[in-house]
Amino acid sequence: MGFVNDVVPISVTGRGPELDELLVLVARGDETAFERLYDKLIASVFGLIRRVVRDRAQAEEVAQEVMVEVWRTAARFDPARGGAMSWVMTVAHRRAVDRVRSAQASSDRENRVAQMGADVAYDHVAETVTTRLEGERVRRCLDGLTELQRQAVTMAYYGGYSYPEVAGLLKVPLGTVKTRMRDGLVRLRDCMGVER
Amino acid sequence: MNEEIHTLSGAYALNALPLRELGEFEGHLSRCETCAIEVRGLRETAARLGVAVAEAPPRALKARVMAQIAEVRQEPPVVAGEPAEPEVVVPLRRGRGRWALALAAVAAVAAVSAGVVAVNEIRARDASIQETQSLLAAPDAVVRKVKMVGGGTATVVASAAYGKVMFTSDLPALDPSKTYQMWVIGGERVRSAGTMDGGGVRTATVGLPEGTDHVGVTVEPAGGSQQPTTDPIMLAKVTA
Repeated sequence: MGFVNDVVPISVTGRGPELDELLVLVARGDETAFERLYDKLIASVFGLIRRVVRDRAQAEEVAQEVMVEVWRTAARFDPARGGAMSWVMTVAHRRAVDRVRSAQASSDRENRVAQMGADVAYDHVAETVTTRLEGERVRRCLDGLTELQRQAVTMAYYGGYSYPEVAGLLKVPLGTVKTRMRDGLVRLRDCMGVER
Repeated sequence: MNEEIHTLSGAYALNALPLRELGEFEGHLSRCETCAIEVRGLRETAARLGVAVAEAPPRALKARVMAQIAEVRQEPPVVAGEPAEPEVVVPLRRGRGRWALALAAVAAVAAVSAGVVAVNEIRARDASIQETQSLLAAPDAVVRKVKMVGGGTATVVASAAYGKVMFTSDLPALDPSKTYQMWVIGGERVRSAGTMDGGGVRTATVGLPEGTDHVGVTVEPAGGSQQPTTDPIMLAKVTA
């Protein structure tokens, strides 16, 4: 298939070009392509959502919303602007974060943030990240970050916290957290060899 | 563009921006190609963090998803040659769609009586920073980046809740006998929002009347027209 011959897709899992082609087919209403895409991506999608949302039943709901959104909006995907994996994971993360930041959850979260000592919060994150990360490379790259970079990135991505929340939990200035998120991700990007 | 906003790219890629700064940063992103490229790379990076925590869901989930997509209509594909962003409303040079017809119809009528009515120059050209922030922070703020006929892009931010729409673009200078005019459009009704000159980056913030679904810009004779007399050089949908 020649749809993406003119671009070099950035592969997350080594199956990037194939995923891109599948998503292009999905945009044309191909349910078989959607099913194949589902099989390839659902573990990553569900794992990420579950990490952010925690509650298993809610994570299933959100994962279902995400996959239906992928089906509905597949025409927005443009392989020239990034890979299919990245596109789907962005939808998944946004939906997961929306869920934990929704109005009802916000007061609970504020209480949680208030009650949780910073030490508890990031010890917990650090522990789950190091014990559960599957990708050897991802783990090694995370280890290459400074402590603050790693905390800022993982609390935002896996914890679903906004950067002001992260700043509050870590008791560091807002500007520092913003900067650490950016330079932490940049260092991860270079370590993982993501194409630019 | 200040460095301060540029540093938000990491938090943006991690979906960690509060609503207010999200609108601000996306506005910036639409004008900053370097930032867009950086965000793309950081998003790819973040995605790998997600892949690293993969976990198999229950099998029943697949059956539910497949059953649901069988009943969900897909968004139409983006027409070849148009920008890929679904947010973009294509200028109506090609005369497609309802808005082109509506504008052409009023233009035909207005051509007869053009020039009779004095049109106000847009006063709130440079809205206060606070006003701009409030607009961007509005829960229903819609941010569009739209191609202009003849080149260039415009950014439009609108909020029905806040009742304002902001238009900004680098507008080429016009012959003194002509002026840019901004329009607010609701259904078949087209109302002037005022005129502005060109010759640089222009930002106009005007009221958004209830029921407005599009804003447009045309080139009119100096002083402005009561109704558009030319095809719009920009037309943007301002509803979600």
